[in-house]
Amino acid sequence: MNTPQKVPVTILTGFLGSGKTTLLNRILSEEHGKRIAVIENEYGEVGIDQALVIDAEEEIFEMSNGCICCTVRGDLIRVLSNLMKRRDKFDYVLVETTGLADPGPVAQTFFMDEDISSEYALDGIVTLVDAFHIDQQLGRSDESTEQIAFADVVVLNKTDLASSDSLDEIETRIREMNRMTKIVRAENADVPVDTVLNLSAFNLDQALERRPTFLEPEYPFEWTGVYLVEPGNYKVQFDEGPDPSMSLVITTDQGSDDSDLRDNAEKCVRYYAEDGKSILPDETIPMNTHVELNLASGGSKSFDIIIDKPMQIGLYAQHTAEEFNIKIITRDEDVVVSAVVERTWVAQHEHDDEVGSIAIEKDGDVDQEKLNKWLSKVLGEKGIDIFRMKGFLSISGDSRRFVFQGVHMLFDAKPDRSWDDMPRRNQLVFIGRNLDEDEMRKGFEECLV
Amino acid sequence: MNAQSLGSLRTGWSATLDDCAISGGWTSEGNEFAVVDAAGSVSVFDGKRGDLIWTKKQVHDGGALATSVHPSKSKFATTGQDGRLIIWNLLEPDTEKVIDIGKGWAENVSWSPDGNLIATSLSKTVYVYSAAGEEVWRTSDHQSTVSTIAWTNKGELATACYGQVQFLDGVSGNLIQKLEWKGSLVSIALSSDSDIVACGSQDNSVHFWRRSSGNDSKMSGYPFKPSALSFNNKGTLLATGGSEAATVWNFEGDGPEGTSPLELDYHADAITSLLFSNHSNRLISGCRNGTVVLWEIKPNNTEAKLGVGQVADTVAELYWRPDDRAVAALDRQGGVTVWRI
Repeated sequence: MNTPQKVPVTILTGFLGSGKTTLLNRILSEEHGKRIAVIENEYGEVGIDQALVIDAEEEIFEMSNGCICCTVRGDLIRVLSNLMKRRDKFDYVLVETTGLADPGPVAQTFFMDEDISSEYALDGIVTLVDAFHIDQQLGRSDESTEQIAFADVVVLNKTDLASSDSLDEIETRIREMNRMTKIVRAENADVPVDTVLNLSAFNLDQALERRPTFLEPEYPFEWTGVYLVEPGNYKVQFDEGPDPSMSLVITTDQGSDDSDLRDNAEKCVRYYAEDGKSILPDETIPMNTHVELNLASGGSKSFDIIIDKPMQIGLYAQHTAEEFNIKIITRDEDVVVSAVVERTWVAQHEHDDEVGSIAIEKDGDVDQEKLNKWLSKVLGEKGIDIFRMKGFLSISGDSRRFVFQGVHMLFDAKPDRSWDDMPRRNQLVFIGRNLDEDEMRKGFEECLV
Repeated sequence: MNAQSLGSLRTGWSATLDDCAISGGWTSEGNEFAVVDAAGSVSVFDGKRGDLIWTKKQVHDGGALATSVHPSKSKFATTGQDGRLIIWNLLEPDTEKVIDIGKGWAENVSWSPDGNLIATSLSKTVYVYSAAGEEVWRTSDHQSTVSTIAWTNKGELATACYGQVQFLDGVSGNLIQKLEWKGSLVSIALSSDSDIVACGSQDNSVHFWRRSSGNDSKMSGYPFKPSALSFNNKGTLLATGGSEAATVWNFEGDGPEGTSPLELDYHADAITSLLFSNHSNRLISGCRNGTVVLWEIKPNNTEAKLGVGQVADTVAELYWRPDDRAVAALDRQGGVTVWRI
């Protein structure tokens, strides 16, 4: 018999009031025409005709062996087993968990129960975060932390209720906890449906096909300011700061929405990959170019910029404006132009969250035997504390790239495409609680050939 | 093993329902076969020729989940995702009683062996009604959703859920025995003397207890969940699914502890249903790819394959006719296939 296509399943998690039901309704109304089944653990107000909505109380089944990776969700097994007994299969299943759900057993259900894994494929875990309340929640509950740690996508929702500074800070904090997750901002859970569905987040060869890394970018700049300028000459002024130089890219035709900032951030990552052009005070800064400003002299100094048409420009700077008191001033009249919008990209201070990400990236090959030994030791000792892991490996003597992923102690590795001309390298990302980065890094490096 | 040519099972009749065939049953004389499907329809077929006697569409909103034919009278009961228990007159599409149990799925239904009581479960509660449909008793909440229920030959009701099997007095509902095991128990098989209870477990094992001594034991190492379980009529052999082979454990003497089971190899995919016949050591087994095999377990603990059948899709359930002269298979595509034995 031919193997039928597995039905994708997306898990929606997030605290009560974070907007799960709103997102659910949005998906159902936009994906009309598809047969979608919704399993709800929290009684919501879902009322869309074409969706089958099944209420099921969360039931956690632990096993006698005490192994936490064998813990599964009985309600999902029951409902999903029943749903597959239909001649016309569903196109998609959405599971809305309670705000207190541990995502571990939910994910494990799709790997531990063969009846389920033969018919369904876990597509991704989407966690909604209420931008206004998350700061309090993160400190107080393990569940909200774990829901972020497990997430493939975090929807930072209700952004209209939080200041842009605090949004940047929350985003940074989430990013530090989970470096694999994609973060999208929304006011009323109004994210494009394709950012949350059909992610293939547990199907690594497909995911790598689309994007050759499991890591979301770490930006080489800390701050962006957007300024509206008329044609003319301006100067960018710096006070004395903590560094004798600063990297900068000034973008032209810069939009002020978060998505515009992010789009140009990706571009600037590429500019930053080029060596910075060295610029001395009073010299002119070229647009859309990576420059290295010389700030070695004492006191205040400035650099010229020449604007030929009315537009917005974006300063993507290595340090924040605050540290150097960065100002844009008209050359002729000495008028300070205030920023239309500002945002920061990386941490300004370390959080002491227990949950964090470790990313190991190394060129070269690993010895398979050493690697197996090291990984089984890591999983044996730390499996409970590791929420998710993903990566690819270059195994010595094998022409193929190996991809792996795991949830707690559940570990799945398989050969993927051949390396061919691609540089052979390794990337491993672990998200977990109280992981010792130095020890993990050292352990992996010892596996290198 | 004897060399043998494996013939096809002799097809009696077949029919196709609107959706996946979920559950069915023969009447006591084998004259009719009642079946429900995932679309919530109920159908009654002539047991000998397969003519449709009557059908009624969408009687359970969301789909039917279980059915049980009365052991002697011309009636049967169905339950579904609408939380309803319906008692039907077998020969006419008339309902004798419709009971709205509550909100949720009524996943199990079973007539007591004497036909005086009918048990059902919805979520964590088990309900028992008289044959006329009056509630006799109900349990307090189990610790999780009740996965399955079964009557013993002595008129006790066994219930299984995460962590336990309970035996309740059929008439009063009083607890007779509780057997605990930290695991999700998904199916029950009872030996004919009601002493041995075997349960398929979520952790790919079969857990069993000897009720007289309270001793328990487990068989593990199944590649899949061994949901399909069946004792032979004497209670000496337990057949289990959970792999591509049907595994038969022998409870005679000191067994099955420390013994090797008989492995019945033929299926190319995981076994989804198996059932010993009512009067002999014949076993019918069906699997995911729709193959059905008839086996005989011989007194010297070897097997013979007697015949093979094929249905369109995954075998959902198998039912021996009370006289063992026919077997019905239900499949995912809605097929009802009957072979003459």
